[in-house]
Amino acid sequence: MKRTYLGEFEEIVLLAVAVLNGQAYGVLLMHEIIEQTDRSVRLNQVHSALQRLEEKGMVRSEMGEPTNERGGRRKRLFSVTAFGQRTLQEIQEVRASFWERMANPLKLTMPI
Amino acid sequence: MPLKPPLLADRFLKFFCAPHLLEEVQGDLHEEFEYQVKHVGVRRARWRYWLDVLGFFQPRYIKRKPSQYPQTYLFSLNMLRNYFKIALRSLQRNKVYTSINLLGLSLGMTCGLLIFLLVKYHLSFDNFHAHSDRIYRIVTEQHRDNISYVSAVPSPLGKVFRNDYTFAEKVGRICTFEDMLISIKAEKGLNKFKEPQGVAFTEPEYFAIFNFPLSVGSFQNALNEPNTGIITERIARKYFGNTNPINQIFRLDNKLDIRVTGVLKDLPTNSDQKAEIFVSYPTLKSYNDWLGSDDAWGGIQSSMKCFVRLRPGVSPSEVEKVFPAYVKRYRPTSKNVHHYKLQPLNDVHFNAQYGGAMNKQTLWILSLIGLFLIITACVNFINLATAQALNRSKEVGVRKVLGSLRGQLFWQFIAQTGLIAAIAGGIALGLAALALPYVNQWFATEISLNLLTDWRLVAFIPALILIVTFFAGSYPGLILAGFQPILALKGKLSQQNIGGFNTRRALIVVQFSISQVLIIGMIVIARQIYYAQKADLGFNKDAIMLLPIASTPQQAKTVKAQLQSLAGVEQVSLCYSAPASNGHWQTAPHYDNHSEEESFRVSVRAADNDYLATFDLQLAAGRNIYPSDTVKEFLVNETFAKKLNVASPSDLLGKNLRVNGNMTGPIVGVVKDFHDHSFHEDINAVCIPSASDFYNNYAVKISTANVPATMAAVEKTWSKMHPDQLYEYTFLDEHIASFYETEALMLKLIQLFSLIAVFIGCLGLYGLISFMAAQKTKEIGIRKVLGSSLAQILWIFGKEFARLIVVAFLVAAPIAWWFMNQWLQDFKFHITIQPWIFFVTIAITLLVATLTVIYEATKAALVNPVKSLKSE
Repeated sequence: MKRTYLGEFEEIVLLAVAVLNGQAYGVLLMHEIIEQTDRSVRLNQVHSALQRLEEKGMVRSEMGEPTNERGGRRKRLFSVTAFGQRTLQEIQEVRASFWERMANPLKLTMPI
Repeated sequence: MPLKPPLLADRFLKFFCAPHLLEEVQGDLHEEFEYQVKHVGVRRARWRYWLDVLGFFQPRYIKRKPSQYPQTYLFSLNMLRNYFKIALRSLQRNKVYTSINLLGLSLGMTCGLLIFLLVKYHLSFDNFHAHSDRIYRIVTEQHRDNISYVSAVPSPLGKVFRNDYTFAEKVGRICTFEDMLISIKAEKGLNKFKEPQGVAFTEPEYFAIFNFPLSVGSFQNALNEPNTGIITERIARKYFGNTNPINQIFRLDNKLDIRVTGVLKDLPTNSDQKAEIFVSYPTLKSYNDWLGSDDAWGGIQSSMKCFVRLRPGVSPSEVEKVFPAYVKRYRPTSKNVHHYKLQPLNDVHFNAQYGGAMNKQTLWILSLIGLFLIITACVNFINLATAQALNRSKEVGVRKVLGSLRGQLFWQFIAQTGLIAAIAGGIALGLAALALPYVNQWFATEISLNLLTDWRLVAFIPALILIVTFFAGSYPGLILAGFQPILALKGKLSQQNIGGFNTRRALIVVQFSISQVLIIGMIVIARQIYYAQKADLGFNKDAIMLLPIASTPQQAKTVKAQLQSLAGVEQVSLCYSAPASNGHWQTAPHYDNHSEEESFRVSVRAADNDYLATFDLQLAAGRNIYPSDTVKEFLVNETFAKKLNVASPSDLLGKNLRVNGNMTGPIVGVVKDFHDHSFHEDINAVCIPSASDFYNNYAVKISTANVPATMAAVEKTWSKMHPDQLYEYTFLDEHIASFYETEALMLKLIQLFSLIAVFIGCLGLYGLISFMAAQKTKEIGIRKVLGSSLAQILWIFGKEFARLIVVAFLVAAPIAWWFMNQWLQDFKFHITIQPWIFFVTIAITLLVATLTVIYEATKAALVNPVKSLKSE
């Protein structure tokens, strides 16, 4: 299967962008990810991941309208491209098929 | 009020973050900051903000977005070629401007180059000997009522120091006598020579210290036996032509026959060790029995030098500690006068106390003047170039529209400046080569301009060109590059837009300040030299010839009688020296049978009874001495009386005086004070005894009528009486002028420098005025239409530069006054700096400036207003 490689963190960011549905931007994404995964994420990591995703064509971005928040600075709003959605789906399918083929899936979660 | 994130962090972010990313990144950061302030407090939020900003400090965020337009490079070969082409064209078109710039820059650079060569030459003195940092000269401080410094030591000191201590690797003594007659048997009669650098009685160890290699012979057996010597190749050629100099004989002072055993390579010119004839040290005993003996501790002969090379790690102060013991042991009766010190070799050339040839301070002042001249030349360039910039505004406008960057325009102008500077550098090199012979003559140096062997010079010239280029080109370059293309293309730039008119005024002020300081210096030095030469010295110095006495006292009397009988000779006196002389025969006097010697020193001017008449010295009390061959009576001067605190000079009469150990007799007369040394020194106490053993000179006063015939007759008489001697004479006034050689040289230099500085300054003024004339064409036209007279219009210009010069003068006058006052302190007898000097200076400057601008200003004022006003 040939597709662009997606790192684990990139995948999470991409998922978060998909979840936020067009309202995704740096800080919001960071908070979202922190909330969901409970890991410490830094702003620059989110920005780099977004840039990489954009280079890979999985998200697109546009500058939002200036608001009164953050000193009138515009936000860069991200949304998932079709290619991004397909990629997410493919990942999901690959994982699902592995899970199905697993003999005793619950054991994995048990302490040995 | 919302809390602000740390300002510095924000600034830093702005500095490094790529502009196209800044907005979103900064926005996110600020939003996060506000969120953190609510959750963790201000302090920690600020702290986190810093961390977050630093988190973005990575290539991904720093890298700028590539421009959508093609990049213009600062240095592209094609553009560089274009710069030089345009530079050449613009230089060709503005010939006056180009030649003024070239002239100014090349003059300034010539001076800089010559001064560099001179300073380098002096700093290179004696630096080519092995371990020269460990070579010292033993010198003597003589502590009496004041400290005097002698670069020599008692002759046995070197020997005992060598034998007693192991501090030194080598100890070498050298004793140089300057006025030695050298005669060589030729086919017909004798060839006679005198070497101004003298003949040196030298120990072979001297050549182990100094790096003067032999070309023939070896040091193993040179300079060991008495009556042998070595000479340089130059002397060998001079004395013996092409014959092999080895084993040739020459005769010293008609006394000693010396056999040549070795030939030295010619000495380097940058050494203070100048003697070229070296005779073995054991020979000294037969030349001067006292000096050659092992117990000549009684006094110091200035010709006796002693050099040592210390072992590594031995400090000079350690060595100086052992010297006082010698004074105690060998000079038990003297009052601990001698203090022997070690003088490092690299100090020998510069320490004036010990007769160093060149003062380091002089070198500094010269370098400073050189620097100032280069600065004035650059200032000049800046001035003209900024004035000229307006003419190039269209070009700059077009270039900018076509996409030139500021940097490119700047570099274009620098390229043009570099071209001028390089040409000026070439001209300067040529001028320096032409001027070098004169410089060498003035400074008595032997500097050569050799680009092939001298890497410092090779490095200096491009460095100078580069510095001048940037110094002179930067400011006008920045101004040119800063033009706004719209204004430039519309031709609406005026001096307001160019700016810097005041800068240029300030630069002119700097230039004229430098010139005026130099002019004031020149006048003061000239006045002081004039004063020193024309002031009443207390004796007559005109039309007096000094001839050497080169025979026994009895013969000298015969010669004197014959000279006196010549027509045209008015007086002849036999004397030790003229009243004013650089000789330092000084001794402590015993007055009136006091048991103690007096604390002051007295100069002994031994002379016969015709001394007063020959030199026109006046008696203040008593009578002249009677004729005598030995010391019977004394004349003293008024200072002698003053130093003894005697109320009236006549109180001295009849009192006994003993000087120089054994000269004793009553004081019979007191002479009015005369200057016994140069104006650098106070008048000393002087005594005049008759002592024929000590006479060195015939002082011959001739009448001013028919001088050549008299001089010829004097020479004939002298030569007849001294067939085996070389005839020499000096005129007393020339001898006295030679006291001020340094000052005369300084005068020549400062005359030259101030001339150049004024010249360059005028070039700058000319540039400024022609610029002003171009700017004010319309104004002048309108004024003329409204009825201004020529004089009124000229005054527009006159006002401008007169003001600049007056301001420059206000800067220059105190500086010059301070410097010249310092300089005059070197003289015990000096002029005061009078106000007229300053008036003359400003008058000269104004006059020269007027002459410079009058043509250009008149031309501008005479333009028909119809012409200047009809076109817009």
